Amino acid sequence: MAELIITAEMKLSDIIEANKRALVLFPRFGIELGFGDKTVEDICRNMDIDLQFFLLMVNTFLNPDYFPDKKLKNVDVEMLISYLAESHNYYLEERIPYLQSLISQFKHNVDHPAIVQLEKFFDQYIVEVKDHLAYEDETAFPYMAMISSYRKKPDIPVGQVDYSVGVFEERHDNIEEKLSDLKNLLIKYFPPAGDRYIRIRLLNELVDFEEDLINHARIEDKVLIPVVKHLEQKLKSM
Amino acid sequence: MRKTILIAEQSEVVRKGLIQIIGSFDLFQNIHELACNSNIKASIIKLEPDILVINPILIQPEFSGWLKDYRSKKEMKIAAVVYALFDDELKDLFDEIIQIGDTRLKIRNKIDSLISRPRETQRQDPGDILSPREKDVVRLLAKGLTNKEISEELFISPHTVITHRKNITRKLNIKSVAGLIVYAIINGIVNVDELHDNKNV
Repeated sequence: MAELIITAEMKLSDIIEANKRALVLFPRFGIELGFGDKTVEDICRNMDIDLQFFLLMVNTFLNPDYFPDKKLKNVDVEMLISYLAESHNYYLEERIPYLQSLISQFKHNVDHPAIVQLEKFFDQYIVEVKDHLAYEDETAFPYMAMISSYRKKPDIPVGQVDYSVGVFEERHDNIEEKLSDLKNLLIKYFPPAGDRYIRIRLLNELVDFEEDLINHARIEDKVLIPVVKHLEQKLKSM
Repeated sequence: MRKTILIAEQSEVVRKGLIQIIGSFDLFQNIHELACNSNIKASIIKLEPDILVINPILIQPEFSGWLKDYRSKKEMKIAAVVYALFDDELKDLFDEIIQIGDTRLKIRNKIDSLISRPRETQRQDPGDILSPREKDVVRLLAKGLTNKEISEELFISPHTVITHRKNITRKLNIKSVAGLIVYAIINGIVNVDELHDNKNV
């Protein structure tokens, strides 16, 4: 199915109506629900959000086949990093704690020896996700911010930095894989144990989280990496 | 297309009788025979028969595991030749049972239906989709062994271990070792005590 391409004159409420995944996206720009009939253009003007950047993020997030190559040259790296870091905050402060609470409810509702192992598996996974996010926040993003501000502050010793976006690209493993294992275990293999509704709630959240991560990773792979690569090349030729 | 059939039966009278009857059907290009089970694996691997007709007495537990494993890769039907009681556990292994008192016509019908009918793989218990060998691999993985250690433990090549692991992932749709451990506990392939050797758990 071809996804709808979001444009400036669309109403925010219609976008959510058409695609519920947009719900998690708007708060990352500081947009709160209760926006009435405002269009994308209205809200961006009101909130001082770069309209082209907003459209690029929304479309890349919502549409797996969206190839934004033409618009990439004008992307502001700092804006991009701040958007991505905001998403990370949302995972760390909202999504992961909620998932943890669902797992713990599930645990209290089932009586099966394998639940201990399932919980361990989940805990290990959360550690991995946190490591992944911390690496981006603490190593990759500061480097990218640094090279993007190079033109403004040319005294930064860019040449001495032993890092490049290539390293980031190589390390950018997918953190959804174990999530899909967990989903399969709950759908196909974990025996019924009087946990019907809590398991459904848990699965719903796992599916949403997985989708969110995949869409998030797509922004990093299709926008962030190419934009920073382009910057690196410009710096080299200077 | 003409088919290949392998008949493993220790009684010469019965074996020759079957060859005579089945040979008259004109369905088979090649009819091979074995009087004991010593070369049976090698013969199956070499001939890749479409049908194996075998006396259940010739099937030792280890061989039955091997057969299940083989059939997860190759399309081979198995018919039992029965004239004595046989171990009930083997029943699932057979697609057809030929009784010693069956008439030529009855045998013909059974063989015909074996050739035309696809094997019922879905008959297996869903919790039992892994072959015994694959379960061994899962159990050792859960205990924290590396591919190399598993190959030494099971006397198979590291390459075979990798093939088993690929098949396990494909069948279960579980990619991580941590996920496989949970699966193994749920299905009783490994028990919690055995995990203590695994430092990653």
